[in-house]
Amino acid sequence: MSDTAASQSAAVRRSAVLSRRVRLLLAVLAIAALPLIFKDSYWRTNLTLCAINVLLALGLDFILGYAGQLNLGHSAFYGLGAYVSTLLIVKLGIPFWVAFIVAIAFSGLAGMFLSLFAVRLRGHYLAIASLGFAVITYQILLNWISLTQGPLGLYGIAPPPSLSIPGLPVIDFHNAAAFFYLVAAFTLLVYLLLDRLVRSPIGETLTAIREDEMSAASLGINGPAWKVFAFGVGAAVGGAAGCFYASFVGTLVPDAFFVTEAFSILAMVIVGGMGTLIGPVFGAVLLTLLPEVLRGIGDLRLVVYGATLTFVVLFIPGGLAQAARIVREKLGLGGPAS
Amino acid sequence: MTTTIRALFLGVAAIGLITACAAQAQDKTIKIGALFPISGPGSYFGAQDKQGVELALEQLNKTGVNGYKFAVHYEDSSCGPLPATQAAKRLLDQFKPDVIIGEECSDATLAIMPIVDQAKVPLLNAGSSSIKITEPGNHWTFRIMPNEVMQGINLADNAYKRLNARTAVLLFENTNAGIGNAQVFKETFTKAGGKVLAEIGFGRDVNDFTSIATRVAGLGKIDVIPTYTLEGQGLKITQALAQAGVTKGGGGGAIQIGTIWLPFGFEQKAGKAALGYVRIVQFDPTDTRDVAKNFTAAFKAKYNAEPTHLNAHAYDQIMLIADVVKRGGKDAQSIRDGLAATKTFSGVTGSVEFDSHNQNDKMDTVHYMETKPDMSWTSLKWN
Amino acid sequence: MTTTIVLQQAINGVVLGSLYVLVALGLTLIYGVLVQINFAHADFVTLGAFAAYFFMHLSGADYIASIGVACAVGAALGWMINASIFAPLRRKGNELLPLIATIGVSVMLQNLMLAWFGPIPYAFETPYSNQVFRFAGIFMTEQNAIIITFSAVTVALLYAFMKFTFLGKALRAVSQDRETAGLMGINPNQLIMLTFVISSALAGMAGAMLGPVMVLTPFAGTSVIVKAFAIVIIGGFGNVEGTIIAGLIVGLIESYTTQFLDPGLIDIVVFALLLLMLVIKPTGLISERREENV
Repeated sequence: MSDTAASQSAAVRRSAVLSRRVRLLLAVLAIAALPLIFKDSYWRTNLTLCAINVLLALGLDFILGYAGQLNLGHSAFYGLGAYVSTLLIVKLGIPFWVAFIVAIAFSGLAGMFLSLFAVRLRGHYLAIASLGFAVITYQILLNWISLTQGPLGLYGIAPPPSLSIPGLPVIDFHNAAAFFYLVAAFTLLVYLLLDRLVRSPIGETLTAIREDEMSAASLGINGPAWKVFAFGVGAAVGGAAGCFYASFVGTLVPDAFFVTEAFSILAMVIVGGMGTLIGPVFGAVLLTLLPEVLRGIGDLRLVVYGATLTFVVLFIPGGLAQAARIVREKLGLGGPAS
Repeated sequence: MTTTIRALFLGVAAIGLITACAAQAQDKTIKIGALFPISGPGSYFGAQDKQGVELALEQLNKTGVNGYKFAVHYEDSSCGPLPATQAAKRLLDQFKPDVIIGEECSDATLAIMPIVDQAKVPLLNAGSSSIKITEPGNHWTFRIMPNEVMQGINLADNAYKRLNARTAVLLFENTNAGIGNAQVFKETFTKAGGKVLAEIGFGRDVNDFTSIATRVAGLGKIDVIPTYTLEGQGLKITQALAQAGVTKGGGGGAIQIGTIWLPFGFEQKAGKAALGYVRIVQFDPTDTRDVAKNFTAAFKAKYNAEPTHLNAHAYDQIMLIADVVKRGGKDAQSIRDGLAATKTFSGVTGSVEFDSHNQNDKMDTVHYMETKPDMSWTSLKWN
Repeated sequence: MTTTIVLQQAINGVVLGSLYVLVALGLTLIYGVLVQINFAHADFVTLGAFAAYFFMHLSGADYIASIGVACAVGAALGWMINASIFAPLRRKGNELLPLIATIGVSVMLQNLMLAWFGPIPYAFETPYSNQVFRFAGIFMTEQNAIIITFSAVTVALLYAFMKFTFLGKALRAVSQDRETAGLMGINPNQLIMLTFVISSALAGMAGAMLGPVMVLTPFAGTSVIVKAFAIVIIGGFGNVEGTIIAGLIVGLIESYTTQFLDPGLIDIVVFALLLLMLVIKPTGLISERREENV
């Protein structure tokens, strides 16, 4: 490569890094501003729910979009995270953040277990196995009343304990804005982590497995091991969302984790754009806010929701991320692909 | 004056009059927020609640009460904690009600109680049976419906003493209401000396009850079968039990008893199978009190259908609020205090007086009905 | 534990199994030919039930005629969904998109039915739903007897169709290798449309027969769909004989779990069995071999 070409590609890389940093800064600013723009508790609730759903969608997208594993049972990890953390806190008096870590680890392990179990299964068989796993998890949460209280429910679940950082006022997580910042910050962290992971050689390995596992094997890539890894990461992220869910609503019933929840999360990933990281963000935000915004319509709002889902899938198969790319190209803003 | 000026004068006068009236109307409205399940399977409750509410509003707003009119705004709480929380916050933030009525499902009600507490708006409930709603003693939550403990103890006592029942088999839906009610019955019945032969819980997705009925048939001599379920599954259970020869309707000896929701008209669908069914209802269609008869007549006139307890409860909720307004309630705090002070209110479903936990402890809200051979209901005057 | 009870539960299990088979048949047919999961299938069943109910009640026609109407409604629905959703998406080649699209359709259908019919359960009575056969201490309603008979006859007819008729063989050809079938002069798209129509007609018919047995609300379909999927997998995707065996097994599991354990555990047992099958024999009880090309 000549000097000019080398410095040109270095310049391209530098500007890519700069552009990413700028976008990160913008994202942080936007997140920080949101609770200040939306001051009432209803909209702050919606924002927090968006953040939780983004977390769920990111986790599923890692398994589905990046590792190519057809996981139809993500609600299981969501529910496990919520119940394990809550039961540890309520029954054993374990501190919130310790329970949080244990719950995430538990969900991650459950994901790895499912993956090990399903290691020989392909495509739709894995899909049904994961669905079966979700059904069984839900039924256990529902029927093991002496442990989980089942349909009777767990109530009065407290938000994380207040944080006192010297020099700053005490952060009380009963405050809706504070709780939102907590979840959003965690979600942003997960996003950045996954972004790193996806750009690293690990990301290339996962892509290779997703595209053609047999050929990847011929390159010495251990497909099953990486699939277990992907499931573990995705499930752990789902478990984290569950932990936040429990304190967010304050009430835990098994019905929140019925298998239809897994389909909702799947819809968020597909509509947002599978296989990208920004896709799940778009999809989660859209599909969380749409039913809320449609409340004004009244009786037919869910019909509109279903119709929106169907039409997006029919006409923009790459989801909103693809739509965003098309818009960007049309406007001539084409920058480095995210 | 020229035509133009006259027209202008009239126009201004008209506008002034209209805005004055509007301002008048805006000042003197009691805002009632309604949190009901309107989507999903829970819409079974919400649709009927709405009918009761609309009938009450129609009657009240003809003349108003104490100079106040009533306005209701519905939000869909979908019978679950998360959607109920979102609906409650939206209601409070955007509509700013003086009082809220709802929810139906116990989990949803329990989830919104802390929210209305913080917002200092009274919540009037007439649909959830869990004892947890009033037991802790919540300042802002009121319940006019008898809770699972009131109903359960009463039912078990009556089964033991009046029906001479010594053995029972519990059938219940796997929900908060189903499990809660069944547990109370079991405790009371066994403490009195009765024996529970089996406790069979089932999901809301079970369609065919022949297997359950078969199992019950194999349990020996059963005196009563407390059944806690909703209308759709209740119908299937009653028919299956009769087919299996377990209950009186099928030539057996067991009597189905129960609570939770079985509306008037159940017998027409169940046929002979419902013979001898003894149950607690919150609305007695044969009630001879004027308030009940007038309600039934008005409901039939407006909707061309027999009212159910869901319609009646919703109607009572609005009427009770109107009664509080008549006594001087006009905003959230005064309505709350007015509710707590209720002494002589007689609703369609029974009398209302709240105990120190804001639970209506009047037992005349617990009506017993039995199905006669001609498929009519008679009221057993057990309360 | 008397033998009567054990025998009665066996009969109950067969009835339940036949019920599930009727729902699962259409699913397995679509999956066999298209390798697609149609999440709206259960809602076709529900819609079929409502179609039959309203036809009977509004026109005073008899029950058998209303089954035909339900079939027709199902077929029309299948044609519409395939034409508007599956066919366009097939060209894009992604297997997940049609899945999500059918989820959207399912949500739309359920809520449209809610708006049209309301949430209060309908009591769908037929001349057979309350008549009971009794024999040596065993009982069964006439409606359930009809369900078993129809189920068996339909499976037999479908099996014969797939194995012995030209169309049936063409369908199997398309399911094994679409491209080659195309080269042989079979028009895959028309055949796929035919599959959809047959499958949805089956769903409609299932609805007409199950309406009197189910708790009939717009959400009735969701109560059977997940088990129907389980049956399709256990029996072997696309396999008609396997479906009936799997359906009977699931039905028997349900009645015996109710008898000896607890109805709440039914789903756990069924899905544990499903997961076990996936480990031991993922292609199902009876399966046609599929080669996977490298």
